[in-house]
Amino acid sequence: MNTIKSIFSFLFVAMIAASFTSCKSDDPKPTLTATTFSNLAADPPSGGYNPNNGQPIGVTKKFTFFSFKSGAIVANADSASTKWDVGFNGTGIIVNSGTSGPGTAAAQVVTGIFDELLTAPDAGYLTDNKSVSPAFYAITRGSGNGWYSYNPSTNIITPIAGRVLVFKTADGKYAKMEILNYYKDAPTSPTSSSVDRYYKFRYIYQPDGSKKLSN
Amino acid sequence: MKKLVSIFFAGFITAGAFAQAQDSIKHTELQEVIVTATRNERTMGALPMPVTLVQKAQIKTMGSLRLSDVLTEQTGLAVVPQVNGTGNGLQLQGLNPDYTLILIDGEPVIGRFTGSLELSRIAVGNIKQIEIVKGPSSSLYGSDALAGVVNIITDRPQGTRGNFFTRYGTNNTLDLSGDYSQITGKLGLYVFGNRYSTDGYDLSPDNYGKTVSPFRNYTGNFKITYKFGPKTDFSLSGRYFDQTQDFDYDVAAANLDEIRTSGAGTTKDWNLNPVLTHRFNSRLKATARFYTTHYQTQTRLNDVAADTLYYKDDFKQSFARPEINVEYFFSESNILTLGAGETFETVQTSRYGDEATRRQQTRYVFFQDELTPFKKLSIIAGGRFDYNSIYGSQFSPKFSTRYEVNDKLSFKASFGMGFKSPDFRQLYFNFNNSAGGGYSVLGTEVVGDRLAQLDAQGQIQTYLFDPALIGKLEAESSKAVNAGARVQLTNRLAADVNLFYNSIDNLIETQVVAVTTANQSIYSYRNIKRAYTAGLESNFTYPLTKKLNLSLGYQLLYAKDKDVAEKVANGEVFWRDPVTLVTKRLTPGEYFGLYNRSRHMGNVKLFYSDKQKGLDASVRVIYRGRFGIGDIRGDIQGGTIPSSDYNNNGILDTHDQFVDGYALVNISAAKTIRQGIRFQTGIDNLFNYTSPRYIPNIPGRIMYMSISYSFSKNQNNN
Repeated sequence: MNTIKSIFSFLFVAMIAASFTSCKSDDPKPTLTATTFSNLAADPPSGGYNPNNGQPIGVTKKFTFFSFKSGAIVANADSASTKWDVGFNGTGIIVNSGTSGPGTAAAQVVTGIFDELLTAPDAGYLTDNKSVSPAFYAITRGSGNGWYSYNPSTNIITPIAGRVLVFKTADGKYAKMEILNYYKDAPTSPTSSSVDRYYKFRYIYQPDGSKKLSN
Repeated sequence: MKKLVSIFFAGFITAGAFAQAQDSIKHTELQEVIVTATRNERTMGALPMPVTLVQKAQIKTMGSLRLSDVLTEQTGLAVVPQVNGTGNGLQLQGLNPDYTLILIDGEPVIGRFTGSLELSRIAVGNIKQIEIVKGPSSSLYGSDALAGVVNIITDRPQGTRGNFFTRYGTNNTLDLSGDYSQITGKLGLYVFGNRYSTDGYDLSPDNYGKTVSPFRNYTGNFKITYKFGPKTDFSLSGRYFDQTQDFDYDVAAANLDEIRTSGAGTTKDWNLNPVLTHRFNSRLKATARFYTTHYQTQTRLNDVAADTLYYKDDFKQSFARPEINVEYFFSESNILTLGAGETFETVQTSRYGDEATRRQQTRYVFFQDELTPFKKLSIIAGGRFDYNSIYGSQFSPKFSTRYEVNDKLSFKASFGMGFKSPDFRQLYFNFNNSAGGGYSVLGTEVVGDRLAQLDAQGQIQTYLFDPALIGKLEAESSKAVNAGARVQLTNRLAADVNLFYNSIDNLIETQVVAVTTANQSIYSYRNIKRAYTAGLESNFTYPLTKKLNLSLGYQLLYAKDKDVAEKVANGEVFWRDPVTLVTKRLTPGEYFGLYNRSRHMGNVKLFYSDKQKGLDASVRVIYRGRFGIGDIRGDIQGGTIPSSDYNNNGILDTHDQFVDGYALVNISAAKTIRQGIRFQTGIDNLFNYTSPRYIPNIPGRIMYMSISYSFSKNQNNN
C-alpha cells in the first residue's frame, strides 16, 4: 500500500513540476494573480471616537497613498508626485489626478464580480474634479454610492459585495481592486468595538499597459 | 419545511380515511353572521371574500385574556414584536401591522406606536366574536384597511344575565372581570368591567430591568339600547381604558454609559358612539352615527442617581367621525348601500419638536351593491372616494364574486384596492439627533421650511433631490387579488383554500434628502418602495366525533421588495461570504424576501366540547417558520440585537442567519358544574419556548387557573 501511495505522490509532484516548467517555457510574461493587501491604515483616530458626537479624535486628515506598480504604500511626503495611484482617508478614496494630485489617474466603480471582470472597460473613467461640484470624486462618496454601505443603527461600514474598482494608474496602466474589509485584522462580523479605517483589499495590476486583467 | 408539509399531508390522508367510515355531522358555520365584510349582517358562508370568524365559545375554551392571545393562533396572522422589541403588532397576509385596520364594533381603534397597535390593550371578556376580513377593505373603511380588517364585535344587551370571572397565573397575572346585561321594556343595558395586572417577565435576568415591566390596566365598557318605536333603534356605547406601567431599567446614553432610570408610563383611551337606526319602510333603512375617540400616553423616566427627569414623552390623539349610511333593498337579490362621512383627526405630541396640535380631515362617500343575478352567483361591487386635507384624494374600488357550483363546492374571487394615508409622524416628525452625529429626521410638512431656513443660512451642501419634490407625500396604495374555493371533500372534511397577491406601491421610507455643510444628513419621508406579498392560505376542518373537532391551518408566504427582486433578476445583487471573502452573484431563489416574514406558518388544533357533561378542552399547536430580523439597534435593556443580514449586503438572502422556526403548544381544560360555575386550567407555551433576543413578546410557559360564575334569567337562552 505504502509503495502505491508513494508512486502516486511521486507522479503528482512530477505533474505539478511539469506544469510549472511548461508555463515557464511557453509564456515568458508573469501570470496575473490577485494580491491581497491587509491592514492599510487610512488615518485611524489615535484617540478613538468622541462618545458624545461620534467624531474621530487624533486624526491627521492625511491620505495613505498606494502604488499598484510597487504594491506598497507611498510616503505621504510624495503626495505631489506621480509615485502613487490611489489614496485612502477614512471611507474617502482619491485618485492621483485633477484636484487630488498631479497625475492622470482615473477610476470607476463597476458592478460585477472581481474574477469575472476579465478586461478593464474602454470608457467611463473619472478623475477627481472638485470644480464640477464641491464633492466630486471618481470613487463616489457616501453610503451606497461607491464602494461601501453604512448601517446607521450599528455604525458599521461594509464594502458592498459585487463592486469592483477599476483604475487607470498614474502612469497609464490598468488595475482592478475589490475592497474586502474596513476593520483592523478583517473581523468576520465587525462590531462597534472593532477598530475601523483599516482596509483589506485584493487587486490585480496589469504592467504591460493592456486592459487585460486576468490570465 | 418539508417535514411540516408532510405532517399536514398525513393529517389530510388520515382525515379522509376517517370520513369514509362515518358521515352524519353537518357543518353549521356557514350560517354564522358577519358584519365586517359588507357593513351589514350577512351569513358568512355566502360572502365572496376570505373571512375568518372567532366566536366567544372558542375564545373561552382557549382561556385567552387579551386580543393578542386570540389573534396569534389564527391561520395567516402573526403577532410580531414592534420595532423596539416591546409590544405586539399584527401581520396579515405578510403585510406590516400599519396596514391592518383594527375596529371595535365597526369603529377604528386609534393609538399606534410606529405604526402598530398594541393588541394587548383590548380585553376579550366582552367580545362576542372577532371577524377578520382579508384583502383590501378600503372600499368600505378607507385608510389603513390595506391588508384587511379585524373587527371586534362586543356583546349587546340580551336578557338579564351576568358573568363574573377571575383568573390567576404565572407572573402574578391576575384578571378580574364581570359583565351584566338587562333588558327592561324598550331599554337595554350592558356593562363590562375588567382589571388586569401582571408583574411582567424577565427573559434576560443578567440585565437590570425586565423584558416586560409590571403593569395594570382597567377596561370599562357599556352599551345602552333604546327602542323608540318599532322602526327606530338607538344605541350608545362607550369604552374606557387606563393602564399604568412601572419602568425600571438601564438606558444607554450617547457616550455608551448606562443610566439607571425609574419611572412610569400611562396609556388611556376612551370612545363614545351614539348610533341611530331607522327603517323607513321594508326597503329603506338608514343609520347615523357619531364616533369619537381619544388616546393618550405619557412617559416619565427619572435618572435615579442624579434624581432628575431623564426622559419625557407625551402623545395625544383624537379622532371623530360623523357618518350616515343608507341601505336600500331593490329586491332580495339586489341591495344597495350608500354612505358618507367625515373624519377629524388631531395629534399633539412632544415628539414633533413642539406641542402644537396637528390636524387633518377626510371627507368620504362610499357605495356598495350586493347582487345575486341567479341563485348560484353573487356579486358585490363597491367603492369609496376619500378626500384628505393634506395628501389629496383616493379612490378605492372593490369587486368580489362567489359562484356556488353545488352545495359541496364554491369558488370565490375578489379584487380590491386599499390605501394608507401618511401618518402624523411622517408628516410632522421633527427630530434632531445631536448625540448621534447630528442628523435630522423631518416630516414632509416641516421639511420644506427647515430646508429653506438652512439654505438661507448657507448650511446646505447638496440636495439629493429637487427641493421642489421634497415634502410631497402620497398615500401608500395596494392592489390585491384573492381567489379561492371551499370544498366539502367528504361529509365531514371541509377545505378552504385562498390564493392571494398584494401589490403595494408608494411605500413610505425615510431617505436622505440633503446634506449640510457640516456633513450631516437630513432625512425625510418619501414614497420610494414597492413590494408584494403572495401566497396561499388553507384551512381544513374535520370533526373527529360530535364532540371533538380537528382543524389544520397553513399559510405559505412570499413577501419581497419589488426593486430588490428586479435587481436580483438582473444579476446586480451580490453577497460576500464574510469568512472566505468570496463574492458571488445572488440568484433569484436565494433572495428570501422581507424581514420578519415566515415562509411557512401553520396550526393544528383540537377542540373538545361535551355540553351535557359540562366539559371543554383544547390542544393547540401554533407553528411559525424561520424568519429574518432586520436592523434593530437594541432591545429595551440596551442590548444589541444583531441583524440577520450576516453578509451585510442589505437584503435577506438564504446565506444569512435566520431566527429558527418554533412551535408553541397551548392546552386548556374546563369543567362547568351546576349553577353556572366554571373552572378552567391551562398551560400556554407548554414546552417553555423563549427567544429573549429575537422574540421578546413570547413570555415562556404560562400556567393559569380560572373560575367564573354566570347567571341568566331565561335559562334556555344559554
